Amino acid sequence: MIYLDFAAATPVHPKVLETMLPYFSENFYNPSAPYLPAKHLRGEYEAKKSALAQTIGAKSPDLVITAGATESINLAFTVLENYPDAEALILATEHASVRESARHYAKTVGEISVDQTGLIDLKDLAAKITKKTVLISVAIANNELGTIQPLSEIAEIIREIREQRLAAGNLTPLYLHSDASQAASLLDLSVARLGVDLLTLNSAKVYGPKGIGALYISRGVKLSPISYGGGQEMGLRSGTENVPLLMGFAEASVRAKSHISASRKKYEKFNQLFRQILTEKSFVTPKFLGNKKHQLANFCPACFDGLDAERLIFKLEDRGILLSTGAACAASKGQKSHVLSAIGLTDSEITGSLRVTFGELNTEEQIREAASVIAEVANQEAKRIGLVSDEVVLKESHDTELGQENPTASSPDQGVTHE
Amino acid sequence: MNSDIAKPKTVFVGMSGGVDSSVTAVLLKNAGYHVVGVYMKNWSKDLPGMKCPWAEDLADAKRVATKLDIDFRIFDFETEYHAKVVDYMIEEFRKGNTPNPDVMCNQEIKFKLFYDIAMSQGADFIATGHYAVSEDGNLKLATDTNKDQTYFLYRISDEAILRTLFPLGKMLKPEVKQLAAEFGLDNAYKKESMGVCFVGEVGIKDFLQEYIEVTPGQIIDRDTGEALGTHEGAVFYTIGQRHGLNLGGGLPYYVVGKDMAKNLVYVSKNLNHLNLWTKTLKLKDVMIRQIHQESGDIQPNLSKLTCRVRHRAPLISCTFNPETNEVTLNEEIKHPAAGQSVVFYDGDICIGGGIIAE
Repeated sequence: MIYLDFAAATPVHPKVLETMLPYFSENFYNPSAPYLPAKHLRGEYEAKKSALAQTIGAKSPDLVITAGATESINLAFTVLENYPDAEALILATEHASVRESARHYAKTVGEISVDQTGLIDLKDLAAKITKKTVLISVAIANNELGTIQPLSEIAEIIREIREQRLAAGNLTPLYLHSDASQAASLLDLSVARLGVDLLTLNSAKVYGPKGIGALYISRGVKLSPISYGGGQEMGLRSGTENVPLLMGFAEASVRAKSHISASRKKYEKFNQLFRQILTEKSFVTPKFLGNKKHQLANFCPACFDGLDAERLIFKLEDRGILLSTGAACAASKGQKSHVLSAIGLTDSEITGSLRVTFGELNTEEQIREAASVIAEVANQEAKRIGLVSDEVVLKESHDTELGQENPTASSPDQGVTHE
Repeated sequence: MNSDIAKPKTVFVGMSGGVDSSVTAVLLKNAGYHVVGVYMKNWSKDLPGMKCPWAEDLADAKRVATKLDIDFRIFDFETEYHAKVVDYMIEEFRKGNTPNPDVMCNQEIKFKLFYDIAMSQGADFIATGHYAVSEDGNLKLATDTNKDQTYFLYRISDEAILRTLFPLGKMLKPEVKQLAAEFGLDNAYKKESMGVCFVGEVGIKDFLQEYIEVTPGQIIDRDTGEALGTHEGAVFYTIGQRHGLNLGGGLPYYVVGKDMAKNLVYVSKNLNHLNLWTKTLKLKDVMIRQIHQESGDIQPNLSKLTCRVRHRAPLISCTFNPETNEVTLNEEIKHPAAGQSVVFYDGDICIGGGIIAE
């Protein structure tokens, strides 16, 4: 089995699992309980939370622990509750959790456009900020393309606008939130350097457990609680601390941070190899999506224009290769990716787009094999629907095996199905 | 099956992602047909407490089609399904009847709309995973008597019968399941879709509440005239129904009548109540097909028929009078609800049927 969907989920690292285990049944106390073992547990929890905060150059009280990135994002958007007329600006390629939170909390939502590589249009950002804009949300790295946004430049633009507002006597705040779910294994997320006011972290994408995340909240940013009760997490998210998951989350984050440069090198090599083999062996030349200069090293989104990526995925699962079209949650609803629409792909290109994301389980051997098999399966499909002639197939199929085909199954009217 | 290898016939297979339609597609492909898989998107709305699984079903159907290396298309029938099936269903319930949406879906959507579009896109045949037999232009009982689905198919047109393949009609369900496993269809053990998805999962009551404004009304004992309690809306009750009346202990009450205008439900403890049992049924919208033979078409013998009053019910001997639209049964049965169908058979040939008028 070759797993190439690390942007959707990562396996819990054995070391992370080991770290968590004692906190399920041995050291299970409620950290708020009055006796000594619970007090010790509180100490361990806080120490680990501090370690987690340090990975982004923050302090423990700056973090609210949540049940995952979606909840962190929802919490971040509660900042709008204090401003009834507030407008939110989000990047056109944001994840559904940002889009839906914005729609729920903001009176109006504007979208900042991106270029064909998914990179933010900074001029459009500056133009779209109005007097009522309170929150701007830009993921540091997109979950379908891996495109990395220039957050510090965005923060700079925001800083200028804040100064203008002050000078004009406009006291409406302007905050920057970033969803860093995909990024923690490969990018430095120091909040000071990024210039963010709110930052969403996700355990499930850094080889930590699912069901836990965090929101970094810069001092002075006022949010509203998303649950009420015992007042945990500064009263913003009441509920007994999930000690084992936090232990795992922090362990995974610290580990990911220490591996950033090694991981980047490894995935850059994988990526180059993968693109080279896939391009060489495919009859339909793949178009690689995203911004090559500013892209997470483990992302390799590719488009076979004219093919149906879903069919490729079903065929590849038979060959032991697991990958995805766009975001898993959008795909399961049968919707076309808004991310791929935003970068200007045609419907046919969107239908032909795969998302390949590498991770710690992969070896160079796997990357070679996966690229060859994907090319082989893409070639079979191209032949089935008559995108390439039999002669091309015969000429070029020196080292690829083609499956048995029904020669009648390639009449010209059988194009790719469009939903 | 067709053996003209030079030019294989094209068959459009309705694929739902379930075992039956998946095996149907495999069998046709192996028999040499040029197979096109089609997912009919009839309904996608979530209802309270139930997520409509259409996207998963679609992915399952497409997965099977991909593994078979066949073309796959999506026909979007949501608008038509709503107009022809859902609206009909709601209207019938409003009138106090208990309609059968599957009969209507086959008549209007699968064997009309799907059929027409498939033909216009070059199909020689359509096929579905129904357990029924299409032979010499006749619709016949399936070999697996426990699975036979002709009850739901009796209203489809002669033309559609002639050009429909039912590859499962002469197979037993366990054989189909075994084939699914042999073909490596990993959805072989997925639960079967039972009729209309939303009705099965969520229950007709929750469904109706979304579409019909219901007001509580009185439950009246037909034998004493006494008001026994309150019901949640007369549309929810079916004649002959025993459950769900919340009338406390003792012998069970049965629904024996409804007054839709006054929103009243009549009940009785008397199992022998006149309204509960019957030997005759009055039909409407009757549709009788001729029997096709090599020597020519003949009329079915309406004085010597069998019929079925619900899916899987035993066949009962009966006669049908086309003048009065009355069925006379050989034995007394519990009165089926108005809106349900009576389906007629001459031997193993399904010759049509009608809808119970009252």
